[in-house]
Amino acid sequence: MDINRRQVLWAGGAIGASALLAACSGGGDTSAKAAAGAKPRKGGTLRVGALGRASAVTRDPHATQANESDYLIISLVHDTLTTPGAKTNTAPRLASGWKASDDLKTWRFTIAEGAKFHDGTPVTAEDAVWSLRRLRGTPSGASRLPGIKAENIKAEGTGTVVMVSDYANAELPVLTRLTTFVLKKDTKDSEIDKAPGTGPFTLDWFRSGNARLVRNENWHGGEVLLDAIEVKIFESPQAMSNALLAGQIDVASNVGAVAARTAEKREDIQVVRRPNDMAMPIVMRTAGGPFADPKVREALRLAVDREAMVKQVLSGYGTVGNDILGTGDPAYAKDIPQRTRDLARAKSLLEEAGFDVSRTYKLVTTEDISGLAESATLFATQVREAGVKIEVVKQESATFWDRTWLKGDLYTTYWGTNDSVLFLASKTMVSESAQNEAGWKNTAFDAAYRKTVGTKDAAARAKVLRELQQLEHDASGYLLWGVADGIDLAAAPVRGLPTLPGYGRVQLERAWLAR
Amino acid sequence: MAGSLSGTATRPGTGPAGGEDLRPARPVLSWVLRLGGLLARRALLLAVLLATVFAAVELLPGDAANATSERGESAADLAQRRELLGLDRPVLTRFTDWMTGLPTGDLGTSARGESVAELLSRPFPNTLLLGGLALLATLGVSLALGCWAALKPGGKADRAVSATATGILALPEFVVAVALVLVFALWTDWLPAVTLTDADGSPASWQMLVLPVLALSIPQIGWNTRIVRAALADEATAPHVETAVIDGLPRHRILTHHLLPGAMPTIAAGIATSTGMLLGGAVVVETIFNYPGIGSVLAGAVTDRDSPVIAGVVAVTGAVITGVLLLADLVRTWASGGRI
Repeated sequence: MDINRRQVLWAGGAIGASALLAACSGGGDTSAKAAAGAKPRKGGTLRVGALGRASAVTRDPHATQANESDYLIISLVHDTLTTPGAKTNTAPRLASGWKASDDLKTWRFTIAEGAKFHDGTPVTAEDAVWSLRRLRGTPSGASRLPGIKAENIKAEGTGTVVMVSDYANAELPVLTRLTTFVLKKDTKDSEIDKAPGTGPFTLDWFRSGNARLVRNENWHGGEVLLDAIEVKIFESPQAMSNALLAGQIDVASNVGAVAARTAEKREDIQVVRRPNDMAMPIVMRTAGGPFADPKVREALRLAVDREAMVKQVLSGYGTVGNDILGTGDPAYAKDIPQRTRDLARAKSLLEEAGFDVSRTYKLVTTEDISGLAESATLFATQVREAGVKIEVVKQESATFWDRTWLKGDLYTTYWGTNDSVLFLASKTMVSESAQNEAGWKNTAFDAAYRKTVGTKDAAARAKVLRELQQLEHDASGYLLWGVADGIDLAAAPVRGLPTLPGYGRVQLERAWLAR
Repeated sequence: MAGSLSGTATRPGTGPAGGEDLRPARPVLSWVLRLGGLLARRALLLAVLLATVFAAVELLPGDAANATSERGESAADLAQRRELLGLDRPVLTRFTDWMTGLPTGDLGTSARGESVAELLSRPFPNTLLLGGLALLATLGVSLALGCWAALKPGGKADRAVSATATGILALPEFVVAVALVLVFALWTDWLPAVTLTDADGSPASWQMLVLPVLALSIPQIGWNTRIVRAALADEATAPHVETAVIDGLPRHRILTHHLLPGAMPTIAAGIATSTGMLLGGAVVVETIFNYPGIGSVLAGAVTDRDSPVIAGVVAVTGAVITGVLLLADLVRTWASGGRI
């Protein structure tokens, strides 16, 4: 689940999240300026712009959604079992609750009381099981539901779905947040685009990536205030921002920092920041090459000026990172001291390691997402002060993913799912992970990971998770200088917008219009 | 070009009466043959172009299976996707398969499993509408300006029009587009900044077409005004025009009856070449105005290494350009033939 690379190409803004699937961060239904007073009012049509490419439109909830617009539409019509949350990173949606067996392999999800499809049929565990198996059967299924075989997803009675993982996994519910859309059992592929969902809105019409959705009066999740939502597909963040500034849409979803800078001067526009949306770490190969020595990696981590990176690359719309991925996790170790710039120490470490400073090293980057190539350039300038010469090489997206990703010595990457330390650890840092971007193999880290996912007791788990983060901070192949905010722009009357990063941005069911 | 064509026009006035008996069936036949030959050549050219598209996509790094996957899909999943998309077959086979569907209107399936014909069914007419309107605007405005300038060669109007035309023909569409949005949408709020679609997939109001059409046609107007002006100047040296001037006919009558007919072949050729430029510029302009045309489909398809979609776009636009060029050829033939 994660990012499908190219999806991001339109890029402009923080695309991010789109990419990610599995774990988005944050919390659930918090609302941006909801506190601003006034009692929520019913009615009105919200016009939302979202990024997407006409060539990549998909209607299938279990397909690879490259378009943010498609995902938005699908997630308003259909419900996933769980959803990103604020206080805990996983919140209930179609599943009202879940419980693990003692060995953390068997998980039972309870279907919410009163959940019905738009045609009035009650949702049963059978429907959920059929949908999960269908998801598991897609080419992306194995990475979306890792460790869960299709035959190990079963119904228990009418209201309980049982998933058995091949290994202990305390974080399994995180995996059910993003694409576990539930459709009626045995829905034909040819009817998938019109299949009734269970979500807060029903589909009025869909055409070439644009759609109109109307309120589901009987949504199990509570009262929906908006009469309708119109989703408009935009290829570029610039056009989307123009549409908002000209009053043609009410919300520009995930439009990015550039648009925010323009809009900040306008009093009639709200800039909604969703922290921890997109991480853009620099990957230093640990498995070989010039950065294999931990001292060299430490030196680079000390040579970067994080504050300056956030200020210049992200226009200030972001937070400084501490080389631990998953900054939006409620369990993120905020107490590990923040690494700051120390050029003297960086130089001495390089000397100790016998690092060849006469050479020029290549840092490979892409323009997949806004700010990525700029981050590489600024980083190169900064580390030169520590005596390391870096030349930035920009690769076209497909070339990068084909030739550099997982292989290069030094390159930029990006992750949109930043609300789970463990999710990213399992994807990118455990020795055998399929996307071990730096080729990192660390037995202590592997052990800490296994212990965390296998520990049921919350307090004990928090303790090992803290250890895991310390190891990651000290020795991994990542240099995480900062994390970009997700940025939405909204017209003045819009209230109740989501503030969660990543896929949390689609939680529009609580939005309302004060006009 | 105008010179060579008007070379046949040395016997004005002899044609209509004398020719009627002499050419009943034969000219029609030769016309059909010529037309057929022309069509066959253009079709062949299009086929070569399409083959090039497939080959070029093949040469790019990565493939559609890779491009439409999610980060971290395993090699086995990728292989499954590749097989699903038929990418495990040689490129020649895929091309031949795709080409055999073409005559029946079957443009294949996209890497995301959507029918390409379906994918283009709404965006392509939208692009045609945009390009067609821009072409009409280009034709109308550049004819008017060119004629106005030609009425008094070297006069104030002539100098102003020629200088302005030279200035704007050098402007890229995106500069024009961005300026138009700033001025007419964001500052004055007179026109919509972007195009939004309604339930049937076409622009929700006609006002949304104004800025994209202007952005597309302004640079082309610059170009074509110069062509019209130059063709008229060229034609003005023809003997029959000089005769008309000596006869003391009114200027506008000389323009419409003596200059324009002779200049028409050149003007038609200029407009026809603008068709390609307009469709190319549409890709940029559509992005800026979020216009729901094939530009965005094409850009996305290249990113996705989605050969059937790219080839589909090339095929339909190629067919349109071929059609327009053919029309221009006919106009030229008619214009030169009509004066014999």
